[in-house]
Amino acid sequence: MATDAIRRHAVWQSTGLRNALILLALWEIIGQLGLVAGGALPPPSDILIRLWQDRGDYPNHIGATLYASVMGFLIGNAVAIAAGVAFALSPALLRLFRGINIAAFALPPIAIAPILALTMSGMAPRITLAALGVYFVTMTATVIGLSQADSRAEDVVRAYGGSRWTVLRLVQFRGAVPSILAGLRIAAPNAVLGAILAEFGGGGRWGLGTYLLGSLGRGEPDRLWGIGLIATLIAGLSYAGFALLSRRLLGATKAVTLNTAVPTGGTASTCLSARVRMALATVLLPFALWWALIKLSGAPAMIAKTPGDVFEYLFLSQGAAAAQARLLAALAETLPITFIGMAAGLAFAFLLAILSRLMPRFIEAFMPVALITQTMPLVALTPLLVLILGRGPSLTLWITISVTFFPAFVTLAQGIALVPKSAEDLPRAYGASRWTEMRMVTIPASLPYLFAATRLTVPRALLGVMIAEWLATGRGLGNLLNQSRGYLDYGMIWSVAAVSVILSVVFYQLVVVAERQVLARLGMATPE
Amino acid sequence: MRQPDGIALTGVSKTFTGRGKVVEALREVTLACPPGSFTSIIGPSGCGKSTVMRIALGLETADAGEVRVAGQRSLEAARQGITGVAFQDAALLPWRSVRRNVEVPLEVLGRTPRAEAAQVQAMIDLVGLKGYENSLPGELSGGMRQRVAIARALVTHPQVLFMDEPFGALDQILRRQMNVELQRIWADTGSTALLVTHGIDEAVFLSDRVVVMHANPGRIAGVIDVPFDRPRQPPLFSDPAFHKVCDRVAEALHGN
Repeated sequence: MATDAIRRHAVWQSTGLRNALILLALWEIIGQLGLVAGGALPPPSDILIRLWQDRGDYPNHIGATLYASVMGFLIGNAVAIAAGVAFALSPALLRLFRGINIAAFALPPIAIAPILALTMSGMAPRITLAALGVYFVTMTATVIGLSQADSRAEDVVRAYGGSRWTVLRLVQFRGAVPSILAGLRIAAPNAVLGAILAEFGGGGRWGLGTYLLGSLGRGEPDRLWGIGLIATLIAGLSYAGFALLSRRLLGATKAVTLNTAVPTGGTASTCLSARVRMALATVLLPFALWWALIKLSGAPAMIAKTPGDVFEYLFLSQGAAAAQARLLAALAETLPITFIGMAAGLAFAFLLAILSRLMPRFIEAFMPVALITQTMPLVALTPLLVLILGRGPSLTLWITISVTFFPAFVTLAQGIALVPKSAEDLPRAYGASRWTEMRMVTIPASLPYLFAATRLTVPRALLGVMIAEWLATGRGLGNLLNQSRGYLDYGMIWSVAAVSVILSVVFYQLVVVAERQVLARLGMATPE
Repeated sequence: MRQPDGIALTGVSKTFTGRGKVVEALREVTLACPPGSFTSIIGPSGCGKSTVMRIALGLETADAGEVRVAGQRSLEAARQGITGVAFQDAALLPWRSVRRNVEVPLEVLGRTPRAEAAQVQAMIDLVGLKGYENSLPGELSGGMRQRVAIARALVTHPQVLFMDEPFGALDQILRRQMNVELQRIWADTGSTALLVTHGIDEAVFLSDRVVVMHANPGRIAGVIDVPFDRPRQPPLFSDPAFHKVCDRVAEALHGN
């Protein structure tokens, strides 16, 4: 079996290498002939030559981006894991912080980057944005991992009088490691994306985002591609590092049998007034935090708007009607494409995650290519896609699909990998085909992860659309944000940010409701 | 002063609410296991026999009634290391070796596993897993995993031993072997044992008393004393007197 694994690994490497070489050769030919959009896709050789010519510029840019990413990654994850443990211990706390958690994740980094740059100094805005990009993913992964621990093993510890903390230490925390590692894997490229986004909106001399922004207007596809490739390499390597780590750590520790115990948690309080109070607190807490941060930062009132200021701007001020009209028009452009892109991205991820079980060879050959395109930081990708696809709606769609696909696929593949051996052996024993086995065991067992993936992608889809709109298409919410930046219309900047966060939270909540219904009917646990 | 009963349940009732339905899991269950006795609970699936055990262990709280383990409240007894437990599913931690799984109760009780290495090794040897100390549960067969769970249940020298279908996953041959082994181990420890099982012959072979439960609501339908001398030997399995007791249990199960 060991030799078989080694041989498969060798096959994987050789076919992966072969496919990459074929792709590179095709790219070179297409590039040399200038077949795509009149030379928008330069051949790899030109990109490499340009990289070599620019070699003096890169170390400082890379250094700045790496520093912000790594610092943000460390801080964000430390907070996220601590918060995840606290939430796993106290469901009430989790419910109370739900609003803040979703808001922290749904916050379009592109909207707050300029605001952060105005209210903070130095590397702080970049680190903050990188940390924000990391927090939600790792926090969710921690809570999922901790809450899906084997309840029978928990019983053993509790039967010996083990405290909540003992259960956490002996059973849950180690059991959560695969989930947390999967979270870190997604979080790592997110940190790079966050740092670059902050550079993009925030000024400063060094950083790949700054470099990209400076080169965007000059019509030099080979340099843009070079920067994109370097950013991708950083993000990809961080992803690969954690993938390797989880493979090392998780050899033979798969759960041996399927846990069928019906989860008990859930409704903590049956009292209606208590539930209403909790719901109110959940909704109000993010606004309170927003207000407190503005007051604490001491930023000038002209730039830093409190929730009250935004309300006044949208409903009470002189220009309220005009502002509302602009906002609604932008929403009408942004929302439809967000949903289409998200649905397509999710469907693609689900299909691929299932295929990875049915046809491992195909996926092994496809995976390296997919990883390269998917770890590419969105901001670096967008100018390149603009060069190829132009500035129409298809660009927005592709960006949305690619931004939702990656986290969804990782979440789903992880869920499918967790399906116990014995559960799959059963249908196989009755002579079931691979497909029947998928249909009967793997797909239902991965349902909680499909919902988790959907929840994860809702805000990302909106962010992807907004970035495309800002950088390229000149439509919708993203464009409104960019324009308002130009006009120094801070009221509108804050309004767009607030509206997009609130929308994300509402959509997220809708998914959660659907998830509760379905999973409760199937007797499965709802991972938070 | 008389020693308190190993396990004492008095008028224990329990209802569950699930998916909008209210299920009366236990009604007025009263059960007393004298110190050093071996009691089995037998009954159809869903009759609440596992719930009796979970309440006695303190994993569930009873709606009504009183529970004492060695004269104390369940969780207090647990914290003092008085109880040992083996569940119907081995419930091993997949990332821990056999030895480290057996050490789990010691760690929970705040003892130092290294100081009791000899005891850990003795339990592993006792269940016949010598040489597998460093294997992971995923590398073992179902029977071997279950034996790890037995070793884990015994490692604390429990005064009161709870077993919820500990041999459910084993084949009949191994099961009888384990029954004989369990009797020997139990006799050595002098503990009060409560076994939840589906196997009539297993219950009769091991027990001083067999408690028969009925479902809907879960209740005790009868108690059958088993008079055979100890230690009981494997030939007992083919003794006509043994079969007679088994038949009485079967009759009680079917409500005659």
